[in-house]
Amino acid sequence: MMYFLLVLVVLLLSFVGQEFVPAIAWAYYARLLLVQTTFYCAAVTVPYPVMLLLAAATGFAWDARYHVPVYPEGSNHAELDFGFTMFLFGLMGSLIQGVRPLFRRGRWELPVFFIGVCTFLSLVIQYLVLSFHRGGLYLSTEMWFQMLMTSLFSMLAAPLILLLLSRLAKWTGYRIRLEGITRKYSYGDSI
Amino acid sequence: MSRINIIVLVAFVGLLVWVFLFGQGTVSRIQRGAQEVFGPVISGANRVEETVSGLGKETLSGVELRAQLEDAERERDRLRLEVLKLDELVDENNALRQALNYVERSPLKLVPARVISRKPSNWYNTLVIDKGHSAAIAPDSPVIVPVGERAGLVGKVSEVIGNDSSVVILLSDEVCQVSARIEGTTEQGILSGERGALSIMPDLKLRYLSKDAVAPPGRLVITSGAGGLFPENLLLGRVKEFKPGAITGEALVEAAVNFDVLKNVFVILPEPSGAAPQTTDAGLSRNATEP
Repeated sequence: MMYFLLVLVVLLLSFVGQEFVPAIAWAYYARLLLVQTTFYCAAVTVPYPVMLLLAAATGFAWDARYHVPVYPEGSNHAELDFGFTMFLFGLMGSLIQGVRPLFRRGRWELPVFFIGVCTFLSLVIQYLVLSFHRGGLYLSTEMWFQMLMTSLFSMLAAPLILLLLSRLAKWTGYRIRLEGITRKYSYGDSI
Repeated sequence: MSRINIIVLVAFVGLLVWVFLFGQGTVSRIQRGAQEVFGPVISGANRVEETVSGLGKETLSGVELRAQLEDAERERDRLRLEVLKLDELVDENNALRQALNYVERSPLKLVPARVISRKPSNWYNTLVIDKGHSAAIAPDSPVIVPVGERAGLVGKVSEVIGNDSSVVILLSDEVCQVSARIEGTTEQGILSGERGALSIMPDLKLRYLSKDAVAPPGRLVITSGAGGLFPENLLLGRVKEFKPGAITGEALVEAAVNFDVLKNVFVILPEPSGAAPQTTDAGLSRNATEP
């Protein structure tokens, strides 16, 4: 329980940190999505129900702060509607839960790669929804590069955040339990 | 899947549906709350950015000097627009009274505002200004800056998110579409930016021109005033290249405003009478009136 609260605090701090993250001009104005990356990292370490709760809280807070209300003509709902980030966080968090067993065994490579993939996927989904509303799929090289660079920044930051979370888990005595496996491991256990 | 997982999943989906059903007013209230909560962080981040970007540029103590300089710049810009406005008011007033007996109306109301941050979005080119409900800012209000002797269009207010903050969607964004014409011709089209925030200064596209339009490079592009949202004769940019198509022509336009260095802007307040405002070639001047 203590660990979950600390994860929530870390997510809150990531919102503060996000305000200080600049867009990088040479990376087609891509930027590190610190909140998303922190959530995806947290999603690897918590059970599914907790992940969904975190997705709801983080997605809601993200939209409350960063939602841009651009309404298509004749519609009361924005292109990327308020709550869409919650949906994306829930969806991507569910995907990330698939690599949780690997993380539990101390293998970080695939989870880190998967965090990058999920960042990329969420951007692609957002772009497709936006294009659907505007009635035209326009795909430029710069667009792909921007999304790839954003994902790359996530992958670079993910190990640091995972390290922080694993330290917090160790400090609070939290064990990442995998349902269906009898032996329970915690961080620091030799497998 | 365990029972608890299913229960939480159902609750999550229910919550999602509930949030998706939020109306614009509810969303606006939530964002206003978030703006107040994050306000100190945003201004802190802005101060850090200003300090970092100002490093090495000042030898005197920074913060107060910069604040004074910004105040002076803001006042200078406001006065410049006021002078343009007054000059044109006098000219127009005389001309209209003498020739057409136009009825003079009140001048446009400008509200100076300071850019406080940019929203970190991959999809929208936006910035946040420090004026909101308390300054009577309304959604879709045009935002301008002086460009030389003229008024250049920055974008429009997308949302007012508090008493002291509004979101401005920049002209460089695809969703900010402006009815425009090429100065000195009758060619009109729709000007818009690019999809996604890929660049601070993208080339703008002036679409739906006639395929044999006269659009030589360097020719000014200004607002046409059609639609009534943006005043007439606001400077948008210069033609960079013209591409004739099978049915219509398209011109690439270099924006007149440098969106990267915006610090102080002016918001045109909505007209009380609902009349579409109008400017002259030299800048802002008067409302549209009919004899």
